[in-house]
Amino acid sequence: MTKTRISRRALMISAAAVAGTTAAGWRPAFADDIRLRMFWWGAKERAERTEKANRLFEQKHPGTTIAGETLGWSDYWPRVATQVAGRNTADVLQMDYRYIFEYARRGALLPLDEYVPKDLNLGDFSPAAVDSGKVDGKIYGVSLGLNSTAFLYDRQLIQTLGLKEPAWSMTWAEFGDLAAEITKAAKKDGFYGMMDGARNEQALEVWLRQHGKPLYTADGKVGFEEADIAEWFGFWDGLRKRGAAAAPDVQALDMGEIDTSLLTQGRAAMVFANSNQLVGFQAAVKGKLGMSMYPSGGAGAKPGQYLKPSMLWSIAASSKQPKAAVEVVNFYMNDKDVDLVLGVERGVPASVAMRQAVEPTLDELGKAQTQYVSFIGDKVGALPPPPPAGAGEVQQLLRRVNEQVGFGKLSVADGAKQFVTEAKAILARG
Amino acid sequence: MAVALSGQGPRAAALPGRGRWRLKAELEGYAFLLPWLAGFLGLTLGPALASLYLSFTDFDLVRSPRWIGVANYARIATDDPKFAASMHVTFFYVAFAVPLKLAFALGVALILNKGIRGLPVYRALFYLPSLLGASVAIAVLWRQLFAGNGLVNQLLAPLGIHGPSWISNPDTSLYTLIALSVWQFGSPMIIFLAGLRQIPKDVYEAASIDGAGWWRRFWNITLPLLTPVVFFNAIVQTIDAFKAFTPAFIISAGTGGPIDSTLFYTLYLYQEAFAFFRMGYAAALAWLLVIIIAAFTAFSFLTSRYWVHYGD
Repeated sequence: MTKTRISRRALMISAAAVAGTTAAGWRPAFADDIRLRMFWWGAKERAERTEKANRLFEQKHPGTTIAGETLGWSDYWPRVATQVAGRNTADVLQMDYRYIFEYARRGALLPLDEYVPKDLNLGDFSPAAVDSGKVDGKIYGVSLGLNSTAFLYDRQLIQTLGLKEPAWSMTWAEFGDLAAEITKAAKKDGFYGMMDGARNEQALEVWLRQHGKPLYTADGKVGFEEADIAEWFGFWDGLRKRGAAAAPDVQALDMGEIDTSLLTQGRAAMVFANSNQLVGFQAAVKGKLGMSMYPSGGAGAKPGQYLKPSMLWSIAASSKQPKAAVEVVNFYMNDKDVDLVLGVERGVPASVAMRQAVEPTLDELGKAQTQYVSFIGDKVGALPPPPPAGAGEVQQLLRRVNEQVGFGKLSVADGAKQFVTEAKAILARG
Repeated sequence: MAVALSGQGPRAAALPGRGRWRLKAELEGYAFLLPWLAGFLGLTLGPALASLYLSFTDFDLVRSPRWIGVANYARIATDDPKFAASMHVTFFYVAFAVPLKLAFALGVALILNKGIRGLPVYRALFYLPSLLGASVAIAVLWRQLFAGNGLVNQLLAPLGIHGPSWISNPDTSLYTLIALSVWQFGSPMIIFLAGLRQIPKDVYEAASIDGAGWWRRFWNITLPLLTPVVFFNAIVQTIDAFKAFTPAFIISAGTGGPIDSTLFYTLYLYQEAFAFFRMGYAAALAWLLVIIIAAFTAFSFLTSRYWVHYGD
């Protein structure tokens, strides 16, 4: 009997407990209970740092919780577009310089000017850094860090082979020669001095700018001509034939992410990348990595590279809690504690005060990045206008046409002609 | 009308209880149907009709759709080289993958039908790839198998064959996807096996007594009596092949490369929608695929009377 009674009581208690938790789960949020959603792209390292930063924010702002969501770069943009279409956008979302104009002009992002400087303090930002988040004169994004393109290489391997490391002062031809020497000295089947950079949009842009031409003009047209592309394809075709750059069937396995990069896969010693990616690459590669600027283009060349916001925080125009969302962004930009958690994984902080705060705490990889950004400071050109709609498709086109040339389906001249014709058609379509 | 009504009136009046009962039963039936019906209307028919509407618009997901009439369809028909390229890839894939897969499935089913020991084990084993087939893990595995230094080339090396990187070579990459499809022969095989069991033994006995050899029996008895199953499998597999997406998406990281050699129609459709945000155009492409599949299926049904032999 006793046993029955206890079990009945236990049953009642557990039933009450279940009812209680169910009720708690469904209870409407209290008026001062703010829930925000934050969405960013990136790998594991970034997710861990961001979650830590958000817990820190919650500690300092009781009553507000931030739910983080994250995806890889290529899955992130379809999801953002779907969320915007479904009026279900995260309150705080990571934007890229490539996309911010499109989203801002379509009314998906909140202009932040009215919150500056009272709620959003950008006092420690250089005017250029603030401007990098402006669209049509209004602030739609706040820079999470500065980066630039960077050439990453397996320093350990190059030293072992007894060759000299790549340096920014070298010309493109000298880079090619170095790559050929590495291939020869490494004597490994299917291993190359460097990746096939012809398909790399950033490499092409830097090279074009050194020739005084933009990749895209301010009014959204192509800034290059057939002759430029023919020279570009021709240069790389030569390197492929000398074995300096990766063969097309090896390069085709590179999907443009860190984990499929030829450097990570142990198939090339040097690749084109971004400065903040040093952290991600080093986590995936055993040998010690080095970082240098892209080839300078030699005497008389104009600056090819530029400093850009590696990513920005934006706030959805549809956010029901814009004020709280601004508070989060402000926290990321100005709180010294959060700075120490984030480090330079997203790039070197744009705020001077934050940069100074984070500098002493950085490890070797972090220091290399801040040094790199300071080093290139006087060697870079102006930030170009953001790429026009359709630029993503042109990027894919560059890759395809370069494969056609690489696999011998098109001559260099025909490839250049096809690329320019199709690129113009894509941009005209938008 | 009037006659029918007056005819029904007295019957309904004569059996009031039963009429009410029938109505109740019908309502109950619809009530049970409701969850499915709500799902069908809300999750299938509704979105399908919405996509039909969107196919006549210019829609980038963020701004409201803008009606542009048949411009999307006109562009597909007249001014889209990528459409032609993806059609070529898809038809090539369907034309090779479906017959090869069916032939392979039938072959294995014939062997298993010999009454070998441990049949359930083999059946389960051979069915396994069909369960795994559409998964991301298998597509990744395939990439490793057919890479330059992958398992396939390592097996070929002792034979003196220095294979290319199959998966990243535009001349061979599509064949690796066809191989992947053939490897998933499990579900048609199971259906073939069931079909083979249906063929009466005495027909074979009679044929044997008449001196028919294995090939003769297969060609004149097995195959004709199996045609309904072949027909069913062919239709299902053809539709599946037209809709194939995951392997190409994973293996080429969504690009359809190298050089668009694995740019399936569905992959191109996906790119237009989710990489380039042309939802209206992608919706038009999707509806064209519906029409193509429907046409193929209708064609198969029309020709079936000439080659499919039903028991009756």
